Amino acid sequence: MIVVDRLTKTYGAKKAVDDLSFTVAPGRVTGFLGPNGSGKSTTMRCMLGLDAADAGSVTFDGKRYSDLDQPLTHVGSLLDAGDAHKGRSARNHLRWIAMTHGFPESRVDEVLHQVGMSEVAKTKVGKFSLGMRQRLGLAVALLGNPHTIILDEPANGLDPEGIRWTRDVMRSLADSGRSVLVSSHQLVELSLVADDLVVIGQGKLISAGPVSDFMTQHAKSWVRVVSPQFDALAELVVAHGGRVERTQDGGDFHAVTAIQVGEIAAANNIVLHELSSQTGSLEEAFLDATDASVEFRGESSAAQNGGGQ
Amino acid sequence: MLSVLRSELFKMTTTRATKVILGFAVVLPIVIYVLTLIFAFDGGVMESPAVVNIASVAPLVALLLGVVGVMCATQEYSQGTIRITLVATPHRVRVYVAKVLTTLTIAVVATAVLLVFTMLSSVVILNARDVQFELIGNDGRVVISFFFLTAVLSVFGLSLGLIFKSGPGAISAVLLWPTIAEGMVFGLLSAVTGDNYFRWAPIQNGFQLVSEYIMEDQNSWTVSALILCGFVAVFVFAGASLFTKRDA
Repeated sequence: MIVVDRLTKTYGAKKAVDDLSFTVAPGRVTGFLGPNGSGKSTTMRCMLGLDAADAGSVTFDGKRYSDLDQPLTHVGSLLDAGDAHKGRSARNHLRWIAMTHGFPESRVDEVLHQVGMSEVAKTKVGKFSLGMRQRLGLAVALLGNPHTIILDEPANGLDPEGIRWTRDVMRSLADSGRSVLVSSHQLVELSLVADDLVVIGQGKLISAGPVSDFMTQHAKSWVRVVSPQFDALAELVVAHGGRVERTQDGGDFHAVTAIQVGEIAAANNIVLHELSSQTGSLEEAFLDATDASVEFRGESSAAQNGGGQ
Repeated sequence: MLSVLRSELFKMTTTRATKVILGFAVVLPIVIYVLTLIFAFDGGVMESPAVVNIASVAPLVALLLGVVGVMCATQEYSQGTIRITLVATPHRVRVYVAKVLTTLTIAVVATAVLLVFTMLSSVVILNARDVQFELIGNDGRVVISFFFLTAVLSVFGLSLGLIFKSGPGAISAVLLWPTIAEGMVFGLLSAVTGDNYFRWAPIQNGFQLVSEYIMEDQNSWTVSALILCGFVAVFVFAGASLFTKRDA
């Protein structure tokens, strides 16, 4: 269990992390989301004692990271796949880390096998693709067989097979009772694996809790209808407080449920070819939740937002 | 602590750059010395050529070992491994002490290897010419000073590496301060005031430790050692403070 309690970190005049509190429960994958510059990486660095927090605390099963004996056996982390000397072999990279905890060399070979890198164990890191470095970074995180895993963008640079493998690793780690905190910009991937979400913007907490709660709160939902008598149905739904949006082959009803639409149609003998509840994606929910916290916005999205106002 | 030290030593011995610099620091002086012994002094009688060689190459070797000290710190920052190092060992004082001991170990071993090969080649080549080789006069002091100088300058390099975090910056400081900047600063002071400020130049005092003879206008061995150590201690303190407190 990770407990982040009122964590605050300031760089000069800028508050990178502002009074942030959340928990990461064991046996669950917790997605850590936020726009660029929102403070995700700073939070992770503060959690691991790399950056000194100005206020607040982070504990792992009740202990601060710096108080953990043999920390790699408690917390495994991947902050940046590039954190490896390019002139060292993958095996030697893991060996020097293993030496700090007195792990046997057989453990190094085990994790290399686990991440599918046994055959390139003696290859220098500089010759690896980004995806291979991500796998090596995961090997570092798994080296101490820890019960808490912190991963910063672990799927960056991975091919589809690698992304699925990463997802499976995270799932199996959580299923074995470990706490997994993972930040990612690949929201589709995250939606497939995360149980809980922590969403931050400009260093502040926006939302924390189960993915379903977040989707209910921030994702749009509507009812899709295809009917040869759509116009008649639309009039009735509007009369019941719904809103209508025409599409090419039917329309979408907002502010009403599929049950309501179905009952209206049945009561008025209206034929339906399709009646389905629709929910927006995690990406749309994330964009909706963090819209006010986006610090760096591209020209086209800024124009879109301006146009919509 | 021992496991961290072992890890630091392993890190230093598994990078090519360290090996290349150590090669320059150790092998090159030996090769030059052996060639000099074979060709330059053919038929001549040498008083203690090994010590003459040590005295002449010691500043260069010490500076190169200072560069190795720099690399012990800056490679971690340039390659990003400092984050893994500090995640694996959150007690930064332990990491710092391990880095100092690693740097010192490498400096002492490299110096010992250089000395042993220099002495051995002297014995072998001079004996082949029926010349007896033995340490005389200040030779013992020069040998001890050589160890002292390389150890101190390697820690000086490590400290600059921890302060700068950037290899080029720290290496420039290690190499340019003693060879150019120190001479300019203390030379100008001497020229302006008319006094011999040059005798307070810290690294030059260090180089003076390995001289066979101390001139009248130079500081004693003890004073020179204290000046060098005092100068380096400032950087050691700054490097240690920054390393243990600064965000990684």
